[in-house]
Amino acid sequence: MYQSKWRIFTNHTILVLGSLFMILPVWIAFASSTHTREYIFQNGLQFLPGGEFFTNYGAILFDAEATKGRVTALEMLFNSMVLGLGFAIGKVIISMMAAYAIVYFRFKLAVPLFWIIFSTLLLPLEVRIVPSYEVVANLGLLNTYTGLILPLIASATGTFFFRQFYRSVPDELLEAARLDGAGPIRFFIDILVPLSVTMIAAIFIIMFVVGWNQYLWPLLMTTDDQLYTIVIGIKQVYNSLYEGGQIPQFPKAFALTIMASVPPVLVVVIFQRMFVKGLVETEK
Amino acid sequence: MATVTLNQAQKTYPNGFKAIHGIDLKIEHGEFTVLVGPSGCGKSTLLRMIAGLEGISDGEIIIDDKVVNTVAPADRDIAMVFQNYALYPHMNNYGNMAYGLKNRGYSKAEIDAKVREAARILQLEDHLERKPRQLSGGQRQRVAMGRAIVRQPKVFLFDEPLSNLDAKLRVDMRLEIKNLQQRLGITSVYVTHDQVEAMTLADRLIVMNGGVAEQIGTPIDIYEKPASQFVAGFIGSPAMNFLKGKVSDDKKHVTVGDGVMLDLDHDVEAGRDVTVGIRPEHLELLKDGEGRINAGVRMVESLGAETLAYLDFGANADNVTLRLQGTHTFEKGEKLSLSVPASKIHLFDIESGQRI
Repeated sequence: MYQSKWRIFTNHTILVLGSLFMILPVWIAFASSTHTREYIFQNGLQFLPGGEFFTNYGAILFDAEATKGRVTALEMLFNSMVLGLGFAIGKVIISMMAAYAIVYFRFKLAVPLFWIIFSTLLLPLEVRIVPSYEVVANLGLLNTYTGLILPLIASATGTFFFRQFYRSVPDELLEAARLDGAGPIRFFIDILVPLSVTMIAAIFIIMFVVGWNQYLWPLLMTTDDQLYTIVIGIKQVYNSLYEGGQIPQFPKAFALTIMASVPPVLVVVIFQRMFVKGLVETEK
Repeated sequence: MATVTLNQAQKTYPNGFKAIHGIDLKIEHGEFTVLVGPSGCGKSTLLRMIAGLEGISDGEIIIDDKVVNTVAPADRDIAMVFQNYALYPHMNNYGNMAYGLKNRGYSKAEIDAKVREAARILQLEDHLERKPRQLSGGQRQRVAMGRAIVRQPKVFLFDEPLSNLDAKLRVDMRLEIKNLQQRLGITSVYVTHDQVEAMTLADRLIVMNGGVAEQIGTPIDIYEKPASQFVAGFIGSPAMNFLKGKVSDDKKHVTVGDGVMLDLDHDVEAGRDVTVGIRPEHLELLKDGEGRINAGVRMVESLGAETLAYLDFGANADNVTLRLQGTHTFEKGEKLSLSVPASKIHLFDIESGQRI
C-alpha cells in the first residue's frame, strides 16, 4: 500500500508519543529507585539513574525490614508466582476440559450450561467475593495457597475461547481418530491438546498476568504476612511511607513496584510469539 | 478381504428426515463399489453408516458374516479416506500413519515395518519426517491412503477423496487408487459425485437418488440400460437428451418434437405417451435427405477431439445435444439430417420415470 511521507511521519509521531506516554512513568519509577532516599526527598523524582541500584534492590529482596513487614520481596515474589502460575495453569486445564465436554459430548443441558458459564463472564470477581470468602473460610482454607487459588480457577473466558477453538477443529479429525481407535481421552491428549498449544499459551499469559495482579482477593484471603503477594506488598510499603517521622523510603517503594512488574513482562516477552499466533491464527 | 452386506439399511435423523430408505446390497470380496449420486442423495451417509460414524436406524450392516450395527468404528476393521484428508496437522507423516497402529498396541518394530512398507508402496519414503502442511494436495491424499493401508483393513472406504485436487492430479490419483486397490485386493466402497470417476473406478456402480439406490450394476450395464430417467440423465456426459413422445398406432415408431418419427424396437402399447431418451453420441449424422430427423443447429462447441452441436427439435422441445467425433463446422441454422438406431432409443414412463 502506498503511503505518503507525510502520513508515515504523522503515524510514527503518534505512535512514539503514545509509547513515551506509557513508558515514561515506568522509567521515572525505575530511575528514582536507584537513588538514596535523602536525594529523592530533596530533589524530587529523577529522570537519570543514580548509583544505589544494588543497595536498594538488595535490601528490598532480602531484608524484610525494607518492605515494612515480616517478609522480604523475594518471598512475596514467590507467593505471587505461586498464585499466578496456579491461577493460570488451573484455569487452562479446567477451561479446556469444560470446553471439551461442551463441544464434543452431547448431553442434556449442554447448551444452557454453556450459556450460564458464558453469562458469568459479565460478573467481576468482586460481585461474589463475600460469598466466596465465606466458602473458603468455612473450608478452613484461609491463609493457604489452595484457598488463594482454588476458588478462582473456573474460567468463563477460557472456556469460551477453547469452545470456539474446538468448534473450528474439523469434524473429520475426530472421525479419523475414532477410526484409528482413539477413545475420548486419547483424542483429547493426542490430538486436541497439541493442536491447542498456541491457544494454551495465549490463555496462559493472559491468566498469569490477571492472577499476578490480583489484589482484593489475596488481601481478603491472607492475614498471614507469609502469604502476602507482591501486589499487596506494594500497597503496604506505600501505606507506611510516612510512618515514624523518618525520611520516606521512596526509592525502595519504587524498587518494589518495578520488581512486581518484571515477571509478567518477562512472561509476555517470552511467550509473545506464541501468544500473537494463538490470537491471530490457529494451525489446523 | 471381506464382504459387506446391507439388509434394508435405513437412516432416519432425530428430526424425522429419512436420509436412507432401506438399501439392500452385497459387496463381494475385493470388489470396488462406487456410490454415485447428486449431493444430498445420501451416498456419504451410507458410507458413514458402513464406517460406523453414523448410527443405523433400521436393518443390518454385515461385514464378513458379523452384524456390526452397534460395533464401534475402530472395531469394524475398516479404514477411511476423507475428502479433506483429515490428517493430524501436528504429527509428521510417519506419525499420521503410525497413530492407528499405536492405539492398537502394535510394537514399535511392527509399526515401523508397516509404515515403511506403506510409504514404499505410495512413494512417500522421502516425506515421512515432514508435516502434512509441507506436502502438496496429492501427497497429502497419499498419506491419508497410507494411514488406511498400514492397518490392512477388511474394507476401504473413500469419501470423495479426489474432490479437493485439481483436474490433472485427479486423473493421476484415480489411476493410482484403482491400481492400488487391484494390487491389494481389498474390498472398497468409494463415494463420488463425479460420474467419470464412478464409471472408471467401479466394478459395480450404485446410483443413488433421494436415499434410494436407483440402480446397481456394472458401469456398462448402467450406461446401456439405465433403469430410470434419473440414472439415464446422471450417467453419461453430455447428459442424455429427453424428449416427449407418443408411440404410433403400429408400435413401430415414436413421434417426438414437431412430428419427427423415430424407429422403435420396444414392446410398448400403441398410443402411449412416453419420455424418449437419446444419448448425444448415438445420433448419427447422415447426408442431406437420408435421415429421418431434420434439425437446425442452434449452437456449436468444438472441443477438438469431438464436436457438440445443440439442435432445434421444434418449439416444444429442449435443445438436443449431438456429439460427433472430430471437428465439424456447422453454420448456425444449418439443417442436419440425422438418424438413431432403434436399439439406442430409451423409453421411460412419463409418470414414474421407470424404463419401459
